[in-house]
Amino acid sequence: MVLQIGALLTAGAAAGLAAHAETLGYDLVAVTGAADGPDAWTALSWVAARTRRAGLVAVLPRPPRLPAVLGHAAATLDALSGGRLTVAVGGPAGELAATLDAVRGVPLWVTGDDPGSADLAGRRADGLLTPLPAAVPAALPAAASAGASAAGSAPAASAAHAAAASAAHVAAAEAAVAAGRGAVAVRRVVVVPAGAAAADVLPLAADVVLVAAGDAAGLDRFAAEVAPALRAAPAAAGAPARRRPGIDRDAVPASLTAVAPGDPDYPRVRNTYLRGGRPGIVLRASSAAAVADALAFAAAHPDLPFGVRSGGHGISGRSTNHGGIVLDVGALNAVEVLDERRRLIRVGPGARWGEVARALHPYGWALSSGDYGGVGVGGLATAGGIGWLARRHGLTIDHLRAAEVVLADGRTVRADADTHPDLFWAVRGAGGNVGVVTAFEFTADPVGDVGWARFVVGADDPAALLVAWGAAVEAAPRDVSGQLIMGPTRPGRPAYAQLMAMVDNADPDAVVAALTPLAAAGPLYDQQVVMTSYAAVMDNAAPGHHRGSGEPVTRSALVTHLTPEFAAAAAALLAGGAAHWFQIRTVGGAVADVPPDHTAYAHRSANFSVIAMGADAGRLDAAWAGLAPHVDGLYLSFDTRLDRVADAFPPATLARLRDVKRRYDPGALFRDNFSVGDR
Amino acid sequence: MTDYGHDLLFGAFVTPAAEPAQRAVELTVAAEDAGLDLVTFQDHPYQPRLHDAWTLLSYAAARTRRIRLAGNVLNLPLRPPAVLARSVATLDRLSGGRIELGIGAGGFRDAIAAMGGARLTPGESVAALAEGIEIIRQVWDADRPGPVSVAGTHHRVVGAKRGPAPAHDVRIWVGAYKPRMLRLIGRAADGALPSLAYLPGGITDLAELNRHIDTGAEAAGRDPGAVRRLLNVSGRFAPTGRAFLDGPAEQWAEDLAGLTLEYGMSAFVLSSDNPDVLRRFAAEVAPATRELVAGERPERL
Repeated sequence: MVLQIGALLTAGAAAGLAAHAETLGYDLVAVTGAADGPDAWTALSWVAARTRRAGLVAVLPRPPRLPAVLGHAAATLDALSGGRLTVAVGGPAGELAATLDAVRGVPLWVTGDDPGSADLAGRRADGLLTPLPAAVPAALPAAASAGASAAGSAPAASAAHAAAASAAHVAAAEAAVAAGRGAVAVRRVVVVPAGAAAADVLPLAADVVLVAAGDAAGLDRFAAEVAPALRAAPAAAGAPARRRPGIDRDAVPASLTAVAPGDPDYPRVRNTYLRGGRPGIVLRASSAAAVADALAFAAAHPDLPFGVRSGGHGISGRSTNHGGIVLDVGALNAVEVLDERRRLIRVGPGARWGEVARALHPYGWALSSGDYGGVGVGGLATAGGIGWLARRHGLTIDHLRAAEVVLADGRTVRADADTHPDLFWAVRGAGGNVGVVTAFEFTADPVGDVGWARFVVGADDPAALLVAWGAAVEAAPRDVSGQLIMGPTRPGRPAYAQLMAMVDNADPDAVVAALTPLAAAGPLYDQQVVMTSYAAVMDNAAPGHHRGSGEPVTRSALVTHLTPEFAAAAAALLAGGAAHWFQIRTVGGAVADVPPDHTAYAHRSANFSVIAMGADAGRLDAAWAGLAPHVDGLYLSFDTRLDRVADAFPPATLARLRDVKRRYDPGALFRDNFSVGDR
Repeated sequence: MTDYGHDLLFGAFVTPAAEPAQRAVELTVAAEDAGLDLVTFQDHPYQPRLHDAWTLLSYAAARTRRIRLAGNVLNLPLRPPAVLARSVATLDRLSGGRIELGIGAGGFRDAIAAMGGARLTPGESVAALAEGIEIIRQVWDADRPGPVSVAGTHHRVVGAKRGPAPAHDVRIWVGAYKPRMLRLIGRAADGALPSLAYLPGGITDLAELNRHIDTGAEAAGRDPGAVRRLLNVSGRFAPTGRAFLDGPAEQWAEDLAGLTLEYGMSAFVLSSDNPDVLRRFAAEVAPATRELVAGERPERL
């Protein structure tokens, strides 16, 4: 971990000194303010606009009254500053939890040197900032010393401060270890007066040194006389021991960018869309060669979880984990047109489907994908791809013409109908089992204006609604694809369902004609129908990095018809409250034109893909069991029960896939997403 | 039909879109370069697709030199008034006196409650805003002896230190439509900032709004002319005139001058994220409107 040196400035002085501090080479500008003085957040936002490189730390002496508003403000300042923000919050440890919950996706430090603060930092934060005692400095920010009351001469206070700070940092590290995070997860942040000498600072073994300076002269002196000695000193004594055990960071190949606990970027990369994680290391690759290097690194750590991330939306695919390795191919995000006449495009796994749609729109094309623009290409295009164009244009994988795949042994191969045909077959539906795709070649379809509808219909009789909607979908022209979303029935609230549908037809009259039977599935409460583009519909992703937490619990099923028996079981599931999200997407149509043995996604006869999400796996399973007699298989992307390979793949598919797996990934390096390997 | 005689202001109502992150900042700079007087942002802290308005205002103020900035309007239930007052004062000092305080009672009660804000009835919102304005003015009044003391029902700040004072006399503009809130503006605020699009009767409703503001001012012994009437507008430049603010720049100027002379409006904040539209508004509409108004106003003595 590299030492960072920051300037700790008061809100009143920050605007005048921040740019100077940056010029002097300070890594961070931290701004603090007393509750009854100039506002630190305002001053830091100003400083963000007047600096370019320095990290920005908001040092808030007290938790905000409205933590959620701070969370929103932090997202804004982080975005405006190009990802430079850290938030440090102090106050009674018991009052900080709400702030830690609300401020997501940026590094968080707890300020304090009492046992409660140390424990909280160890369990939950990315750093512990131990403040200066009040007596030490002359030109000290009032807030940085708030709460401390040491008295006496400066040297004595300084020694006492060092001891207290050190004890707090040790306690935080212990709490982090006890929480299973590894001691390295919590940065040691200390405040020193601008007059401090290197000999005073080095024993603190800090990861971050904040210099409390009231004027430019203090910043100048520390930068010139102390900072060079600190940077030249060997890494903080405790640091190597505090790294995640079992991962040799120094062995990461130079082709990869590593982000590990304690790194400034770590809070931005550790979580995914639906899942909280604390991986031991995230390896960012920007070429096929770098992917091969990462696979070698993962192979050298056979006992650690290993996940591959493209967009970070995986539900079954574990694109984060606890203590393991994550290979992030998000940087491989190019979208290129290879041959305009044949509508042949080449797309990297890290591109998002919203970006793909936006890139194809000027050509009058679209590629059948999922339903959310933030989803990455890699995960979806190796699993299936069920979205707004499925019934007319088939699955995403049905448009794949070739894939560039890095295999477990590090070789990069091109897989298509003629070259590695078994691998090409497996990539289309079980790609997570056989390699890492670094480029996809697809044929796009001509798609003009589309009809886009959202209906809210009453669901007092959910079973009747499901049967009626299912029948309407099956009778609808192939132009129509869509979905239905319901939640648990709540006492005192009207039961309703959301229906969404795209009609791939530029004729508004045809759109209305196609939609009318769908809207009649239940009493219509609200409706919105527009003519728009596929790209506009896919422009629906929330900005920023992922802030998921916890572990999703989902169940998937593929269904041929929404029979009264299925509908009754689904209604019972909803009434029981075990599922907080219940969604049915339309399949069938062009999806069913492809023979089941043509790709590793074999459930071609299904007309519907069903997903339920719950909080408690046991409760959800008990409720889900009622559906079992009426369903046939599952869509692996949407089920968190990774052992249900026999539901994901019918027998003939499974046998062939096991054979391909033995040939292309004999050591089962890829084992985190419905692995059919032997380990 | 009253013209309160204020100098005219021309501003922009820019969407504080979260993505692309710098878009609203670029539009602010474009508005300044165009010569507009004011840039404003709506404030919906519960909406992740929008930037936090206060953070954006602070950042954008640091990227500009001349233009004035305000919330349009800041959400008081989610911006505790003492903190807000000190934030405004801090930014006003940093920016050389370019900040005005646009504020409102908050419209989306469920979203506000979900963020931890109080769920208030419309009547309570008026009282809470009155208390908030009082707290803000006491914080800013840094030279007066004694601490801030407002023991309100919704906002209670008793014994807090005053200050910092803003660099200039920051104006408090309130987004309001209903009689009680408008009377509060007349009593305690410096301006009213409604949106023309939200007036069910359109322009003619402005007379009714003015009447309530004037009533509130007179009841408090204030000159109704002390309250600036600002208006959020939207429009479209077109070669031929079709409707209000839908036509060539000359017609816009006539439309807006009419609002000044007949309804006392003295600030026009145009909703647009198009830099070309903002440039035309500043370069063609603003000077022509000012000229028309100057020609109709009696000479000042």
